[in-house]
Amino acid sequence: MSSAAETAAAEKAPGPAGSGSAQRGRRGPDRVGRAVYRFLRSIPAWVLWLMVIVWSVPTGSLFLNSFRHRDDQRASGWWTSFTEGNWTLENYADVLSSGEQTGGLWQALLNSFAIAIPATIIPIAIAALAAYAFAWIPFRGREWLFIGTVSLLALPNQVALLPLLQMFAGGAHWTLPGTEIVVTLFPDFSLAGTATAVWLTHTAFALPFAIFLLHNYISTLPGELFEAARIDGADHFTIFWRIVVPLSVPALAAFAIFQFLWTWNDYLIALTMLGAAGENYPATIKIASMAGEFGLREHLLSAGAFVQAGVPMLVFFFLQRFFVRGLLAGSVKS
Amino acid sequence: MAALWGAFLGIVISVGASAAVFWGTHRLFGLVERRWAVVAAVAGVLVGAGAGAVAAGLRRCVAVEGSRNDECTPLLDGPSFGWINPTLMWIVIGAAVFGLAGAAVGVKRSPGGDRIATLQGRLRALTFVGPAMLFVALGLIVPLLRTIYLSLFDKAGESFRGLANYGEIFTNAQSVDLSGWAGIFGSRLFWGSLILFAIATLIAMSRGRSRGVRADVSASTVGIGLGGGLLLSFAVFANLRGTVMNNLWWVVAVTFLSTALGLLAAVIADRTKRESFAKSLIFLPMAISFVGAGIIWRFMYIARPPQKSQTGLLNAIWVWLGTLRPSSGGAWTAVAVLAAVTVLLTALCAFGVRRRQSAIAVGSAIAAIPLLWLIYRFLGPGVGGSALGPNDEPIAGTILFVQESPFNNVWLMVVLIWIQTGFAMVILSAAIKAVPADLIEAARVDGADERQVFFGVTLPTIVPTITVVMTAMIVLVMKVFDIVRVMTNGNFGTQVIANEMWQRSFTEFNLGLGSALAVVLFLGVVPVMGLNIRRMQRGE
Repeated sequence: MSSAAETAAAEKAPGPAGSGSAQRGRRGPDRVGRAVYRFLRSIPAWVLWLMVIVWSVPTGSLFLNSFRHRDDQRASGWWTSFTEGNWTLENYADVLSSGEQTGGLWQALLNSFAIAIPATIIPIAIAALAAYAFAWIPFRGREWLFIGTVSLLALPNQVALLPLLQMFAGGAHWTLPGTEIVVTLFPDFSLAGTATAVWLTHTAFALPFAIFLLHNYISTLPGELFEAARIDGADHFTIFWRIVVPLSVPALAAFAIFQFLWTWNDYLIALTMLGAAGENYPATIKIASMAGEFGLREHLLSAGAFVQAGVPMLVFFFLQRFFVRGLLAGSVKS
Repeated sequence: MAALWGAFLGIVISVGASAAVFWGTHRLFGLVERRWAVVAAVAGVLVGAGAGAVAAGLRRCVAVEGSRNDECTPLLDGPSFGWINPTLMWIVIGAAVFGLAGAAVGVKRSPGGDRIATLQGRLRALTFVGPAMLFVALGLIVPLLRTIYLSLFDKAGESFRGLANYGEIFTNAQSVDLSGWAGIFGSRLFWGSLILFAIATLIAMSRGRSRGVRADVSASTVGIGLGGGLLLSFAVFANLRGTVMNNLWWVVAVTFLSTALGLLAAVIADRTKRESFAKSLIFLPMAISFVGAGIIWRFMYIARPPQKSQTGLLNAIWVWLGTLRPSSGGAWTAVAVLAAVTVLLTALCAFGVRRRQSAIAVGSAIAAIPLLWLIYRFLGPGVGGSALGPNDEPIAGTILFVQESPFNNVWLMVVLIWIQTGFAMVILSAAIKAVPADLIEAARVDGADERQVFFGVTLPTIVPTITVVMTAMIVLVMKVFDIVRVMTNGNFGTQVIANEMWQRSFTEFNLGLGSALAVVLFLGVVPVMGLNIRRMQRGE
């Protein structure tokens, strides 16, 4: 598409001067004009590369800083290290190991995995079933149930945090009006402060988007396939397991990557649900608290931020295609 | 390592249990036609177990003088030895009673053929949709309703206050402070916006005159007008302060600027070599957490005492610019470079006039204005961070990006714009590529040039996508939390609703006010939800 546009533009050179060039054509070659137009046409590309540089410098400067000694970080900017050298891996070693003046980020990374992996797999399983039903099992009220669920996509997490935390911390109870009798609606499992509370919350919040994304994909699968399977005696369960799941792998992968990045990078839900349970903190909370103390460990902050960002960046570079597909689902009709 | 094993175990148990339950119910519903009694019995067992659990949980609670916690005694008691406890006992009793009753009813009466088929269909659908609906109901709907309920109560969630919490939010000077309204008219941003509006109107009118209508709205008019609107919003929000106003500022500025920059990058990248490389680098911040992004930008914004060398890039550049003064000689180099560029622009302007290319002539003339202004600054008052020391000697002046209100808000917004531009770019880029090629071809055959193709064909086609991007962005920006919390924690006049809500709810445990703030956030996205519902209904 873009190459087609380029060829078309090249044929029509010098581009923006469509009518003007036709007049000048009679006056013979116009080298100055052509050079000027070529220069003008290259401006957008320069703007783009300038944007690329501006967008990369913040991350790049943090990256360089993470390899500099504590005293260097405090005395001068990262750009001086090009001439001075003096790199070190000390910050990474310190930030990973646990101790008074180090980061303890290794444990936090494990905690992050402990939150992000279940919070990715469980919603996928639940949402895929629901998406299949919304797409291919007719039942009364399907339409509005689907629209109602998906409209919750825009719901801010904040509206549910407080009641959910109360529910995890002490269960949900209701006093029968006018009596002293209390009914327990949700028992107290003492989930507050555990990773389970975090991934349960993530699951609830992920479902509207997961159902939306997977439904978009599953509903476009060819219906004849299901018809044929049903004639062969397959029920919904068999169809789902044998046909829908294998065919939906791209959509499942897209959502999985999206959700993994989201939960790995989450701060709000983990902070709320874990409270003071520091031993369960994921990496985001760890580096945020390091940033908050402005003290001894500040030189470890850049290395810490990079360790935390390392996993999503790897995912991003190797699986960008799927991630983009997840983002695009539903917003662009091709 | 224990956490990871716990998580692994959690996954195995919950996936295994869910699979077993799912498969079991699936098989059970397969029996509906032939063994109705079995189905009724199992249903009875399930209902009975639930009823037993609820019954065992019934408690009589009496308030105790001087204690926050009530004293509770279970209503139903039972034996408790070994692994047998009252709860388990009541569950078993309930399951047995209801299971037998179900079996008895099922043997006596079974629904007829037609009804059984519909019933089976519905139960099948329920096995598929049920788990998701259970999570959505327990995790989203019920908590949402409870938050709304709590927002009408006091700090402890006990005595009813009506809408007093909302009144507190909107009348408090911390949240909405309109006292600085007069400052709007004194700000340069305001006058800048008026000038832009005037220019847009003039362009529209002059275009209109040549076409015989009163005003002709073109892309440049709309663009300049939007720029004016943005300046005006900055003028307004810089003077009308408070938490709610900050939130609105975030929504307006981040949504508009990210979308505009994303569209710019998408359009340019579409016709540039190495498109995917450039796009990945702009998109990369999307992979970084808001917390990480906040830390990254904190390093950019560091301001150190003027006597020391700056370690933050932005202040380093700013201070370096400040050292370029006529007295120290550096300014002359800068002026020479700027003057050379200005001469080139003048030549370009002349070229445009000669070729009757108004865009080139006007564009280069406009580009020359800031250069002339910079030359004036270098020769006169100076550019960048410099201040006068106690003995009138020039010293470095730094910008306190994070501390200086109200524009520190803008520097925090930059972080989110940096992240979200990639999002807008990727989606808009896909939309641009999805514009039907024959549509563009037809416009080209009709003699449209690149610009006309873009504004006449591409842009109108992707408007729905732009709306989608902007609504998604509004929802995200409305609840901005991490960035503010990590960078300022709401200090220095940067408080936003989400951070206020968190502090009220989870550090002060003011349930009423915290919930009311959450509901305010919710009300903010209700229009977006309505829009999404309408869009889906049209799409189906």
